[in-house]
Amino acid sequence: MTKSVAKAMSADHAAAWWMLAPALAFTLTLAVYPVIASFVLSLYRIILSMPALGEPFVGLENYGALLRDPTARQAFLVTAGFVALSTALELLLGLCIALVIHAQFPGRGWVRAAALIPWVIPTAVASQMWRYIFNDQYGLANLLLFGDRVAEYIPWFASPGIAFLIMVLADVWKTSSFAALLILAGLQLIPDELYEAARIDGANLWQRFWHITFPLLRPALLLALLFRTMDSFRVFDLAFVMTQGGPGDATQVLQLYGYKAMFTEGRMGYGSAVSVSVFLAIFFLSLLYIRAIGSRLLERNA
Amino acid sequence: MARHYQHSFDSVHCVLSLLQGIRGTFCDWTECARLKTALLICVLLLGSSAIAGDPDGQSGEPVRTVTLRFVSWKADHPRAWDEAFARFAETRPHISIVRELAPHSSTAYHDLLTQKLKNRDATVDLFFMDIIWVPEFASAGWVRPLDDLFSPEEQANFLPAAMETGRYGGHVYGVPSRIDSGMLFYRADLLAKYGFTPPRTWPELIDQAEVIVGGERASQPALRGYSGQFKQYEGLVCSMMEFIGSAGGRLITADLQTSQLADPVNLAAVDFVREQIVGRIASRAVLTYQEPESVVPFIQGNAVFHRNWPYTWEVANDPKRSRIAGHVGVVPLPGMADRPPATALGGWLYAISPFSRHQREAWEFIEFLSSAPLQRHFALAAGIAPSRAAILQDERVLEANPHFRAQLAMFHGATARPRTPLYPAISNILQRYFSRALAYRDVNLVAEATQADIQINRLLDVGRSAR
Repeated sequence: MTKSVAKAMSADHAAAWWMLAPALAFTLTLAVYPVIASFVLSLYRIILSMPALGEPFVGLENYGALLRDPTARQAFLVTAGFVALSTALELLLGLCIALVIHAQFPGRGWVRAAALIPWVIPTAVASQMWRYIFNDQYGLANLLLFGDRVAEYIPWFASPGIAFLIMVLADVWKTSSFAALLILAGLQLIPDELYEAARIDGANLWQRFWHITFPLLRPALLLALLFRTMDSFRVFDLAFVMTQGGPGDATQVLQLYGYKAMFTEGRMGYGSAVSVSVFLAIFFLSLLYIRAIGSRLLERNA
Repeated sequence: MARHYQHSFDSVHCVLSLLQGIRGTFCDWTECARLKTALLICVLLLGSSAIAGDPDGQSGEPVRTVTLRFVSWKADHPRAWDEAFARFAETRPHISIVRELAPHSSTAYHDLLTQKLKNRDATVDLFFMDIIWVPEFASAGWVRPLDDLFSPEEQANFLPAAMETGRYGGHVYGVPSRIDSGMLFYRADLLAKYGFTPPRTWPELIDQAEVIVGGERASQPALRGYSGQFKQYEGLVCSMMEFIGSAGGRLITADLQTSQLADPVNLAAVDFVREQIVGRIASRAVLTYQEPESVVPFIQGNAVFHRNWPYTWEVANDPKRSRIAGHVGVVPLPGMADRPPATALGGWLYAISPFSRHQREAWEFIEFLSSAPLQRHFALAAGIAPSRAAILQDERVLEANPHFRAQLAMFHGATARPRTPLYPAISNILQRYFSRALAYRDVNLVAEATQADIQINRLLDVGRSAR
């Protein structure tokens, strides 16, 4: 009896592994292998244009150089600023969009679909679009602000601060609806009875939001925060297409710096060290968030 | 260390090609040129395979068809190139050419091409090589030495200074397709109206620009004095090197030992651009301009002076594209005070990939493209300044392109960007420094220059350790 159960169990086990295998193989080759390969590369000094140097193993030398590199430090600050600003704005805007498309009104299906359009557009195309909008010679932004009677339009991308803000704006425009989608899912989990009870108790709209919606939405908000932080930390295409890092490195994010080191300068080891540090930064940030979300969920279950 | 990293980046390469493709596609809308190329390729392929399929009646042996893949940018004058390709197809029906179009920006082009070369990709047979890549490609083994194919007698037909751009470490790696250096274009009609002769020095240029812009303000409020390239990209190094050079400075000592950006002469030149050019006679918009954007204000009639490469002559005098056709003058760039002017050396070389399986055929094609008749064709049909001394003195060529004389004079004194295999990394540091110097109003120039010097010197040290 027990034997046959054990047999059935192990057979189940084997079947389960077989079913998991494709997903596992996929993850290993596409997620785990590149990370390990990058890490291994980052321990060597490899300069493609100088094969005479060989490819010596240098341990953590690249990481030491990275910590002392003022250009990398600035790229880190730009990236961190971008993550903080864009994530905060995206959550705020995402919450507003979610509240609107959660409400009952005619044509809601259409509005929901429309809100998602920016998110569906490839980032490279969206970046090019924003670059055109803020072009100094024929950009829409200048036309809308000044009409066609001004002798000279504002060269938005010539100013370091404004170029950075345009990059944030493009990201907020594009991904707020993704945050909204996650928050909408959270909204739909809140039972209607709670609102009915509150209404009977005489709570107004704001009180209902502040005492029911917001606390119950926190897990969904944290999830959106996690996803957006992870995603925006590895921003690359916005800067690559719109500014290539300029002016004066004001939009040079870490991934772009790593790209330049690897693909333009052929410094494979150093470029890998940059990507690995981006990976590590995202990894630890995620651990932090997941811990926060996990405890919230436990509190609710208890 | 296994070379497995070369393969692990293939997927990255795909994504990047896509991104660069999108960037390229949206950068300019003349997609029909690309379509035409595709069509031409189809026609060439069809034509050659038809010939290949036909057994040669006389010998009874089928002719083997070879397909060469040629990486180049989208030409400024596609028709001139299409014609050249068609002529080649007539004379060598057994070789068909497929053009692989890379992005117009030199850096994006470089990144795409080196991806292929470091993967030893045999699908690249020949390519256009920017003269600044010669040390890098030669050192990395990404370009085939041409010493056995390019005879000394043949080399002697090209301008020595042009030949020099393709040489590194005692070998020749490329055949110069043209001569190229920065030039000053100006509005001949406006200068004549105010009784000016073309400026010989930068301060003189500024004075003329201010008088003309002031005088025209009522009738043309959008007119500015100057337009050039000051975005954070490769061209910024050229623009700034010209100012520094004409002030008597150098980026790096001639022996490639020490970076000297913090040298007082260099600092003064950068400060001159900060204070006198960007935001004064030129709009701050030049901080976002590469070549294609910078030429627009000039050909729309909104700039008195314009620094660009020689192809601008064609563009500015084309009545279909330009409002100032026929009113354009061109002279060597100005100097600083009593010093001779400096101009950045540019140019593109024909080069063969060492990983190509058809190197002989690739050389045949290069010989054809760089032959005297073809250089004359490119000069007449596309305004490309020939690298062969004889064609540059050809009367018909000079008649069609009177500016070639000034260009030749300029070309001989042109300054090359630092010739080291680590140039791409050095260039990124230079771009960052110059762009910060121009874009931030409160930047500490000495501190920034000193820091860039330290970074560049560290790279030069790495380069020395290889020898």
